[in-house]
Amino acid sequence: MSLHATPHPKDTVKWTTVGGVRVPVHLLIPNLPDPFMDIEDYEPDADLMVLNMGPQHPSTHGVLRVKLVLDGEVCVKVTPYLGYLHRGVEKLCEKLSYVQITPIVDKNDYVSPMMNELAINMAFEKLIGAEVPRRARYIRTICAEIQRLGSHLLWLGTFGLDMGGAIGGGGSIFMHTFRERELLLDLFEDLTGCRFHYNTHTVGGNRHDIPAGWAAKATQVLAVISKRCIEYEDFVRGNKVFQARTVGVGIIDPVLAIDLGISGPVLRASGVDVDLRRDQPYAAYDEIAVNVATDPGGDCFSRYVVRVDEMRESIRIATELLAGVPEGPICSLKPVKLPGAVKAKHGQGVYSSIESPRGELGTFVVGNTVRRQSAIPYRCKIRSPSMHLLQLLPYICPGNNISDIIVTLGSLDPIMGEVDR
Amino acid sequence: MSFDNPWIHGLVMGLILANVALVITGYSIWFERKFAGRMQNRPGPSVVGPWGLLQPLADALKLLQKEDIVPRSADRALFNLAPPLTVFCALSALAVVPVGPGVIVADLHIGILFALAMGSLTVFPVWMAGWASNTKYALLGAMRSAAQSISYEIPLLLSATVPIILADSFRITDIVNAQLGGKWFALWPPGPGIAAFALFFLCSLAEANRIPFDIPEAESELVSGVSTEYTGMKWGLFQLAEYLHTFIISLVATTLFLGGWDGPGDNDGIIWMAIKSLTLFAGIFWIRWSFMRYRADQLMAICWKFFLPLGLVLVMLTALWVHLI
Amino acid sequence: MSWPTDAATLCQDRFGLEICEAEGPLVSADQALALATALKDELDFRFFVHVVSVHYPEVEAIAADEEKGIDAIIGTPDHTMVHYRLRRLANPNRSTDTFAFRIKVPTGESTPSLSGVWLGADWQEREQYDLVGTVFSGHPDLRRIMMPEDWPGHPLRRDYAIDTSHFPWR
Repeated sequence: MSLHATPHPKDTVKWTTVGGVRVPVHLLIPNLPDPFMDIEDYEPDADLMVLNMGPQHPSTHGVLRVKLVLDGEVCVKVTPYLGYLHRGVEKLCEKLSYVQITPIVDKNDYVSPMMNELAINMAFEKLIGAEVPRRARYIRTICAEIQRLGSHLLWLGTFGLDMGGAIGGGGSIFMHTFRERELLLDLFEDLTGCRFHYNTHTVGGNRHDIPAGWAAKATQVLAVISKRCIEYEDFVRGNKVFQARTVGVGIIDPVLAIDLGISGPVLRASGVDVDLRRDQPYAAYDEIAVNVATDPGGDCFSRYVVRVDEMRESIRIATELLAGVPEGPICSLKPVKLPGAVKAKHGQGVYSSIESPRGELGTFVVGNTVRRQSAIPYRCKIRSPSMHLLQLLPYICPGNNISDIIVTLGSLDPIMGEVDR
Repeated sequence: MSFDNPWIHGLVMGLILANVALVITGYSIWFERKFAGRMQNRPGPSVVGPWGLLQPLADALKLLQKEDIVPRSADRALFNLAPPLTVFCALSALAVVPVGPGVIVADLHIGILFALAMGSLTVFPVWMAGWASNTKYALLGAMRSAAQSISYEIPLLLSATVPIILADSFRITDIVNAQLGGKWFALWPPGPGIAAFALFFLCSLAEANRIPFDIPEAESELVSGVSTEYTGMKWGLFQLAEYLHTFIISLVATTLFLGGWDGPGDNDGIIWMAIKSLTLFAGIFWIRWSFMRYRADQLMAICWKFFLPLGLVLVMLTALWVHLI
Repeated sequence: MSWPTDAATLCQDRFGLEICEAEGPLVSADQALALATALKDELDFRFFVHVVSVHYPEVEAIAADEEKGIDAIIGTPDHTMVHYRLRRLANPNRSTDTFAFRIKVPTGESTPSLSGVWLGADWQEREQYDLVGTVFSGHPDLRRIMMPEDWPGHPLRRDYAIDTSHFPWR
């Protein structure tokens, strides 16, 4: 009975290699549901109900709309609809200069704005050929890790809400994680002057240097959160109701996940050992070892385990980097006075990607060859991991009931601002 | 306090007890919010009145001022009838519960059956509301609620059978009198008593739709379940009924298992009843703010695979105990 | 950027393509499906990174002369360049290889959908169809994904008039 399910033990997992990737055998699903299934083929005389979940629903993490076809309470077919938060960021990028884009993309993944800035500025630097000073790379990495921690804290809170409701045990874990996230926002406020939409990365480095005493304060805050992580583990991991709701729920086939372009903690929770921080080091990750957290369970509980392990790893990386920030300039280019000061010299497309809390966040940018417009990208495309995560829904939801769909959706951690852009 | 004419007695006592229960329910919401606030590192209500004590009044005023919306496609009559009926069902159960020696509206000889029946009757207004709202979320919530209430009635009644067998009466006053002098059924007979108490408590949580069994409401899945389409005081009545139900459950559990107004030594009195039942009430809040909720099929699995056999075994053990002693 | 040698060799030897150092080989629409299948099945490029359509309007000689610097594309017809990017995960040395190729799609023609090869291309191709207007033939569900169903035009085309108002939006 799933009521007393125990998490999948790590040591008894059998592994196989599919397409050069080592994956756990027990997660491979032979028959996947067809997302384009004609509902008439299901069972012609079944009494089916169409339920429109969202775009106004407390648990669709924003304005996702999911059309569910239900047989009783069991889902038969899932069709996600996007676009309710489409703000045309890519079109805006074609109208603004390279240095003006950073505050715009802050609003994409509104849970981790630092990551957006980092991703898009890395692409611009690659296009323009700008170097980033070592100190700026350190600051970027520290910011990225603190942001990852903050993003996972928010995820843990909202995951509790999905399972326990805002007026219940879920609300308690939510309040606790938000208390800690507040400390991180204070850190960013001290660093950049803003609590949320920082605009601190720029082409060639950072705008804001570390203020006096910030490193000590940040180290102390990380130590506090490190202790509080143990509290969450006590509150959540051993909780029988939490285990009953997450173990064996929303199992993701790693081969399917790779095929769908899913990356980040969701893929690692299916046992695939992939992390761009280690595999394709950017910023200062080539100077520090990154221990990649994986779990072979493939279910919602594994995704919780992986994210909590990543929180600890982020605390470790940030603390170690804070101890050895090198001296030097924080921006290789001169301080930007005019938006047109940063110019691309060629019209080729370049791509660069980072490991955001949700997976591979990449930017494809094409420079403009018209000389008068060389400070404006010709085309800028943001490859958002959340969009690929939502693509998973039609494959893993059929056969589950509504409660499990909500938990599965919550465990994927999609951010609609990033999906729709 | 009693009057010779049963009609007058029922009217006066009913009025007093219902109002006391409603005030306690209102303040239990204040207490729960304070309690939840402390659990969640925040102060809870603190603005309206000293320590936020006037918060329930402010809430009620706010709810009364809200626009009363009936969806165009709803069944108006049933839609409007459902919220008062839930409160009616919950309050009716109070009639047979003795809160102190002689402090009872109607001392029915089948009191316990009446109290449990009225508690289970709330499934009808809830289903009524879910159907009349003509919304899919409300309908799903109502279906879940019906399935849950009907399933959990059985172990609830089985666990209530334990004190009935021990006291040899359906009258709640008799059950309390049998426990006077510290012979609480939760402690004596050792084993079945405490297990039956736990079973009764958990099943009542499910019956009152409290976390971790609040799947009919499940606001993260079904938006707000049956009360999705309700606004203003009609929504407030659903909340009131839920809290009333919870309060009456703690009263009934106290009378059945914790000796009612039995206190240490000869200090019996209504104060002990209040202390015990309010402690249980607070325990329900504690559970609510620390657990997540089960899934619908898991809930049914707990009921049919675990609670029901446990209830049957407890009834048999108790009968054996009574037979042997 | 240097491309993985095995993928470059495959493109050169089997498909006779010329590898561009910056943007990968330019593939014709007929070859795209065969190349994609070979890359996925033989060389394990299983992770789909992105597909981006870039619209290049037809450039007239006079305009080009004024702008000074886009003479490279003078005379090219109105077309979109579709960039695909793939990734090979977890090779023994714990690094990832990426490989990219592009397809030139003249306006009015279509390019084969690769969503049958990589499922992850499904929504991204829908997005590119919606925003840039590239038609992916053989796509199972080619609907608009971001914009409303009845939206006129494709907003990320370079010739899209941004100031046009659309009822009920402004």
